[in-house]
Amino acid sequence: MPDSTAIDEALRQVLARDAALLALMPDGVWFDAAKPGCKHYVLLTLVSEEDVATFPGRREYEDALYRIHAVALDTSADTAAAAANRIDALLENVALVVAGYSWMTTHREGRVRATPEDPVDPSVHWQVIGGQYRVQMAPVWGVQDGD
Amino acid sequence: MAIKSGRLGNVKMGVDLATAANLISINNWTLSLDTEKVEITCFLDVNRVYLPGMRDVSGGLGGFYNASELKLIGATDDDVPSYLVLIPDTTAAAAVYSGPAYLSCEIEVPVGGAPTVKGTFSAAGPWTLPTGA
Repeated sequence: MPDSTAIDEALRQVLARDAALLALMPDGVWFDAAKPGCKHYVLLTLVSEEDVATFPGRREYEDALYRIHAVALDTSADTAAAAANRIDALLENVALVVAGYSWMTTHREGRVRATPEDPVDPSVHWQVIGGQYRVQMAPVWGVQDGD
Repeated sequence: MAIKSGRLGNVKMGVDLATAANLISINNWTLSLDTEKVEITCFLDVNRVYLPGMRDVSGGLGGFYNASELKLIGATDDDVPSYLVLIPDTTAAAAVYSGPAYLSCEIEVPVGGAPTVKGTFSAAGPWTLPTGA
């Protein structure tokens, strides 16, 4: 039985296991929220997800949009930009291997860039650079699933 | 029979009813039972008047392009008709629309989505409708 959360975790693992990305973002790769104290990290968020069905009443593929961006407490955007480029190199049109699924596509649909001020200390800013990535995976239904 | 969700639908295809097997990656079908009308309007009628003619059976089916399922595409060049079974509800096995048909199809490959396949068909012989239709 395909496990949809395995797609989230596979995506996180692709980024978390890359030494070049971790050198730029040493505080790791996080889903939705980083642990307190992180100053250089990558954040993933599931923006939207749609299951597209076929007969006999089950999903043919899962269409997900992830927001993935580098976050750095830095006066310069250089490190965050370099991390965003590395994220793109790791994901754009690169097959995502997930048990129970067949990969269809991974591609960026748009850029993300912001420089919000720190909520505690407005004199410092965060550099946020990344993109929104479309990931489409087709479940591989087994005999036990009625195929 | 109560109203059921379309998720319980299905389409089978083969050379006859006995060999008809599931068409995979299909998620919609339509059946048109369009009866032509013969006009018999005469003098002194207060409006146009028609009589029913012969019923035409045709329709379409569509879904995602799947390289493991090319029966629909192969059937477009067949000299003999395929046999289609259109099922509104797989939990009501007897209530199906079936018959021989000639098929055409079209494949669409969008850059931002999954490739789709869309077929159309016309009756190639008598069709069977559910009891009560």
